[in-house]
Amino acid sequence: MRLGLALPVGDEAAAAAAAEAAGCAAVLVEATGGAAVPAAAAAVVRTCLVRVAFPVRLGSDHPVTLAEDVAVLDNLSSGRIVAVVDTGDLGPEEAAEDLSVLLAALTPRPVRHDGSRWRVPAGLEGHRAPDRIEVTPKPVQVEVPVWIRGAAADALDPALPRLVADRGRVDPERRVQPAVAELAGTADALDADRDAVVAWADAGATHLLVRFPDPAEGLPLLGRFLAPEVAMPEFPRVIAEADPPPPWPGPARYVTPPQEARP
Amino acid sequence: MRFGAGLWCLQSTASCPRHPAVPYAEYLADARLLERLGYDALWLSEHHFFYDGYCPSTIAAAAGALAATERLTVATGMSLASMRDPERTAAECAELDRRYPGRFELGLGLGYRDVEFDGVGVPRKERAERRRTMLRATRRGAPGVPVWLGSALPEAVARAGAHGHGVLFSGANPLTLVRDLATAHREGWESSGRTGERPRVAALRNVWVTDDRAEREAVMAWFRASYVLYAGLGWAVPKRGETAAMDFTQEVDRALADAVSTAIVGSADEVAAGLREVAAVGVDELVFRVVVEGAPQAAVHEVLHRLAEEVLPHVADAEVVA
Repeated sequence: MRLGLALPVGDEAAAAAAAEAAGCAAVLVEATGGAAVPAAAAAVVRTCLVRVAFPVRLGSDHPVTLAEDVAVLDNLSSGRIVAVVDTGDLGPEEAAEDLSVLLAALTPRPVRHDGSRWRVPAGLEGHRAPDRIEVTPKPVQVEVPVWIRGAAADALDPALPRLVADRGRVDPERRVQPAVAELAGTADALDADRDAVVAWADAGATHLLVRFPDPAEGLPLLGRFLAPEVAMPEFPRVIAEADPPPPWPGPARYVTPPQEARP
Repeated sequence: MRFGAGLWCLQSTASCPRHPAVPYAEYLADARLLERLGYDALWLSEHHFFYDGYCPSTIAAAAGALAATERLTVATGMSLASMRDPERTAAECAELDRRYPGRFELGLGLGYRDVEFDGVGVPRKERAERRRTMLRATRRGAPGVPVWLGSALPEAVARAGAHGHGVLFSGANPLTLVRDLATAHREGWESSGRTGERPRVAALRNVWVTDDRAEREAVMAWFRASYVLYAGLGWAVPKRGETAAMDFTQEVDRALADAVSTAIVGSADEVAAGLREVAAVGVDELVFRVVVEGAPQAAVHEVLHRLAEEVLPHVADAEVVA
């Protein structure tokens, strides 16, 4: 299982950079509403390797417009975006239609959709327009990962991963099973945190996005103890219990990844 | 005398957490610097199913560094011979030799971790036979690619010499053992009656050039930490003659101290003197074990610069590499 950081609302940029430096695989933007896209962009530009998962709330805009947000952020990040699609206030059928338009708009095919909520292109009177539109730019990724959550999630394509917050909802059969959980992130509570991440891994989660009350305190513990613990079965105790040498004298190892790793 | 550096393992460890893509980016930059400074070779290492992402495909990683450079030799020390299909491996080696003539060298190790065999359904007891099969396949399919073997047992090293294979020795071996093994290899080669160039003897050495006391202490601590990793992997050197066993799995503290005691750390003059001692025991190629986990890349690069510019010109028989 791989670990990531759920980003504190309002402090995404610094927390994302710190998460990347700590070796996290991904960060999760928890800001919602109008804050989601700006927060995701802030996380993107301060990192160059981590995946950036951010909420896309169905019903908050035209699904084509939401897809354009996703595509722009995917280009801004050279292909590191995960869309966490939340069904919001939509009912099952509404959510299904919006999701299908969103997904269609993210493929490199022209889009044409005629449903109860949306008609794309709308073909409004007086417009001279083709009967299909190409939503551009296209995402960098061949397929932008889409994780589903929300009240109407069960009605949506079962093939898409579900982002769960309840360990009982982990499905070990899924190829991708992301989860989000709160940990203490303190040295005093290290054993409990270790037990928690092991429990998520044993349940079958593939990616655990961790909320820490204080990421500055929790991230070093994540990198040193928690991520290794769930990176292989029977993580050797001689490594878990060894005291690493003090940091190299002089400037910090690095604060941003090496230039070569930048997109 | 040939000079190389290693081992690149491409890990993201518990002591130095980082994104798994970072070591790969650093690796390519390191390869370019080695070439620019005139080093002969870069050495990779392989393990499977380890928490830190230890490079499981040395051939793919070698292909990357070869593509990123123009003259540097890239060698695997070692690829695990049991874990790959011999014909596919031979075809890959031949392709690397075709694209980058004379620049790829293949180390073939037996492997020692049960989980690595079990993970791909290979009985560990077949590992020697599988390596023989791999040796036949690569010699037939990629005859231009030099083959290296690794062992700390004189009889195995002598056999490697007799078959015309180079040998790479662990950086944890004390010099007395290196001398015995180098002698065994040379005798094996000479007794085989083969003609042509004698296969080479390469030795990894923990080396660090610094005039700074704090950095000297730091590198010794991180050399020690690097063997904690091998304790985690379950690596051991068997007892032989006057050389004590080094069993990281059983006697961690003493084995760590022994391994670290072989390090050559100090000023340029001190390191040159230490390397002359290593060269004197019959080593044809020094592989500097400078990929120190806790050291920032800039510190590793500084040491590579200083070795090339201040040390190697003063090592006996050394061609000036810088």
